[in-house]
Amino acid sequence: MKPTTSAVEIARDVKAGTLTARLVVAAALGRIDANNGRLGAFTQILSDRARNQADKVDQQIKDGAALPLAGVPFAVKNLYDLKGVVTRAGSKINRDNPPALEDATLVTRLEAAGAICIGSLNMDEYAYGFTGENAHDGPAHNPHDIAHMTGGSSAGPAAAVASGMVPFALGSDTNGSIRIPASFTGLFGLKPTYGRLSRHGTFPFAASFDCVGPLARSVEDLALGYDAMQGFDDADPAMTRRPMELLAGKLDRGGAGYRVALAEGYFAGEPEAREAVAVVVKALEVHRKVAIPDAAAARAAAFLITMAEGGALHLGRLRERAADFDPEVRDRLIAGAMLPAAWIDHAQKFRRTFRDRMLALFEDVDAIIAPATPMRAPRIGQKTAQIGGIEMPLRPNIGIYTQPFSFVGLPVVAVPLWIGANRLPIGVQIVAPPWREDIAMRIARQLEKIGAAESHVAPGFADA
Amino acid sequence: MSQKPVDLDHWIDAMAPLLRLPVADDHRAGVKANLKTAAKMAALVEKAEPSEQPEPAPVYRP
Repeated sequence: MKPTTSAVEIARDVKAGTLTARLVVAAALGRIDANNGRLGAFTQILSDRARNQADKVDQQIKDGAALPLAGVPFAVKNLYDLKGVVTRAGSKINRDNPPALEDATLVTRLEAAGAICIGSLNMDEYAYGFTGENAHDGPAHNPHDIAHMTGGSSAGPAAAVASGMVPFALGSDTNGSIRIPASFTGLFGLKPTYGRLSRHGTFPFAASFDCVGPLARSVEDLALGYDAMQGFDDADPAMTRRPMELLAGKLDRGGAGYRVALAEGYFAGEPEAREAVAVVVKALEVHRKVAIPDAAAARAAAFLITMAEGGALHLGRLRERAADFDPEVRDRLIAGAMLPAAWIDHAQKFRRTFRDRMLALFEDVDAIIAPATPMRAPRIGQKTAQIGGIEMPLRPNIGIYTQPFSFVGLPVVAVPLWIGANRLPIGVQIVAPPWREDIAMRIARQLEKIGAAESHVAPGFADA
Repeated sequence: MSQKPVDLDHWIDAMAPLLRLPVADDHRAGVKANLKTAAKMAALVEKAEPSEQPEPAPVYRP
């Protein structure tokens, strides 16, 4: 099995009996062994668990079981619980916790569908960062240029998928943490509607916004994983009872007929982002533009709520073990714990107002196109960037285009673009109304089919 | 928002004991920088949201 083999191909061949899950796992473990040292993708590699699950899958296939993800290896950001493993959530402090007693709901569902969890992946500490630079485990490196960031906080998932270690991985997205690494490493990433997928068994960050979802190298792989994870779970209080809306194999009708508009104003800013969006606009023949009023305030409100909820969540750890935090995360969390309650209440009220405005916009359009990041992946260690013509701190500003949409829980697919001779990709967001992941996924699939958006294993890793 | 510049040290010194959250000297500059950013963000939100009417987004359903 090659690093470029997709989840769809693996499942097809394992189901057909022309490939065994055991061989798939051996190949994946070999690639991880060869490349993890220079990429910093995996923090825990669960070889025995993976081999045991592979044997189980191979037996189930022999017994005639129908497993949509038969033999597909995957890995999870290390904030997902894996039975017997300490859920570190990118931190030093959580390493002192006891091992998880059960797998996270999504891991259980994927493995019930025949997938095989290989291990857990690097991330920004407590998911509070967009760079993928972890103070304790070291940075995750961008497989397309290892001197550059993966983006974060789902940094290890991005490095693992973009280097072909696994065909898809699970991340989480509070303010952009799936969409940003997807943009920087050239992957498709799905941030579902808030409340669509169960967060049970994942370490939280800002409960008002936390979402979980997949990153992959194709839209069909994204759909295959997404389908297996859907369904109500009363262990996650944010979940809404929705019927499952299966997408695998149903995406090829494409985005034709959808009313697509380009977000202007706030989202029209940075040159690299503008160039990326122009490719999508041309490919989809988008003529409509839409102004999103108060997008800057939406981002600001998301910023405040995140700070406050994060500060409250970690208050005990900040009291007892402040020196054990990543300093950049710690100082933001301390400040977050000190914010006036009235600010947070205003921000939550504005969230309602902004949601109503977005729903009004969606009466006239089916999807909105916006950049995913202001720039391509910065170099690891870079602290500032030109944003709006001003040298700004990089870390908090990478998410300026993602935060306004997750603020109101909208589903978004990030699609990767490669422009000119630049070896680093950049992503564009396809934003859909609540619960219409199908629209964003179909448009993403259309962009993929016509070659406007594309993902591949990074050169240098594709033949490993 | 008051137009008067906020004294960030006073803010920290007032809140830290209330929260039982000691702020080490070498953490203070970072906390101040983040409070300053938060104050700018709060001003943006306040400007955008003068209404008292909307129900805050998370609604508790018993």
